[in-house]
Amino acid sequence: MQQWICVICGFIYDEAEGLPDHGIPPGTRFEDLPDDWACPECGSPKSAFEPYVG
Amino acid sequence: MHDNATAGRVEIDGSVFNPFSPDFIRAPTETWQKLLRDYPIAWHRDLQMWVVNSHELCGALLKDNRFSPNFRLWEHAPPEKAEADKNDWDHVFDHSLFVVDPRTHLKMRKLTMPAFSKPVMAKIDDKIRDLVDACFNDIGNPETFDVYEAIATKLPVRSIARMVGVPTDMEDFFHDFALNVVLSTRPNLKPDERERAVQATLPGFEFFKQMIRERRALDHPGEDFLGSLIAARDGDDSLDDYDILSIILALITAGSDTATDLHTYALKGLLEHPDQMEKLRAHPERMENAIIELLRHGSMGKFPFFRFAAEDAEFGGQAIAKGQCILVNLSAAWHDPAKYPDWDRLDIDRNLDGNLVFGAGAHFCIGTYLVRVQGGLMIKEFMRRFPRAELRNGDGDIDYDYSHHNARRITRLCVETHVADTEEAA
Repeated sequence: MQQWICVICGFIYDEAEGLPDHGIPPGTRFEDLPDDWACPECGSPKSAFEPYVG
Repeated sequence: MHDNATAGRVEIDGSVFNPFSPDFIRAPTETWQKLLRDYPIAWHRDLQMWVVNSHELCGALLKDNRFSPNFRLWEHAPPEKAEADKNDWDHVFDHSLFVVDPRTHLKMRKLTMPAFSKPVMAKIDDKIRDLVDACFNDIGNPETFDVYEAIATKLPVRSIARMVGVPTDMEDFFHDFALNVVLSTRPNLKPDERERAVQATLPGFEFFKQMIRERRALDHPGEDFLGSLIAARDGDDSLDDYDILSIILALITAGSDTATDLHTYALKGLLEHPDQMEKLRAHPERMENAIIELLRHGSMGKFPFFRFAAEDAEFGGQAIAKGQCILVNLSAAWHDPAKYPDWDRLDIDRNLDGNLVFGAGAHFCIGTYLVRVQGGLMIKEFMRRFPRAELRNGDGDIDYDYSHHNARRITRLCVETHVADTEEAA
């Protein structure tokens, strides 16, 4: 399980936690998010995310 | 000018939307609702700019690369100087996040994001907590005080100064620098006013250049914000001095003058809605959502954001010509019934998915988490020290700066603390 950071706004997507409030269950890998998925904070596309090591 | 583009154009003038009007600044709601209902997008004849009002169009525009925040694309922008004639302001502007091409912008955001990310900003809490304590210690326990003077003019600029390493005794110098940085690119100011602001920024840029030089001369540039920018690497990419100055500029524009309004409007909103204040006191974990909702509900902007058309573009059923200025009227959008049917209700539990409170897309507010931390600390401390506070005379004897360059700036908001009652009850 990995974390991903949106380089535009700093939002962190944690694969282990998912985004249950947005219908994304815990354990969902970033690569399995829909292609048109957007950052819930700033609306940037998936391409704006990079692996994050906290 | 643009004769072929004006056919079928929806137009308004100052009789529909006059952002300079004191009546509008005091009570903008009716105007915003009219704009949202009848003019989701329109050309403003008096302002000579497009005004985009609906939440849907504002969101789409902010994510549309045909519209840039680059002031130099504006048809009325002053001509770019020859390289040899450029001063520090020009060089920093050339490197700014609002000006560089999208690829360079993404590179700079990648390099700077570690310094602005949510986990890093959470640690800022410790660095600015003493500033909040000191601010409230200075207020003491008076029966009444002015939130604007005592909090809003102090905390934002002190927080940013602390973050970028400005000594406390240079606070006034930094405040003037911050204000002039903001003023220097406002399309709603006259050219001579902008040029005065440009000249007034130069001592500030020299100050920060010296700081960067001193840090670069050290074996390690330091673990703080400035040090992290100097040390930032992504492969072979790094930030040069003007890149770093441009980030400081972005932080200032996003976090100092604008955040002044956060403090007044947040407390105004909570004091006008004691049930929401009580809910927040009982559930401090809702603070972040509460701050976004307080900003949305208070909607402090007069001239929120500008964009400039990089090319001729069809947008929202209108023909926007290359070089034209567009006012992204987020203040209206945050009250759009199409997005928020109960837009006039303050609800700290509101689902704010897809909100535009900190913008959207590539230029999403870089200081968003800093502002949330700063606002959260202030609100918690206010609620702790003044649990029975009320607005004086019902409206806090509220007053505004009617000539402020971009905000419906509250310049007086007085509270009655009822500290004597609180002490007696204790």
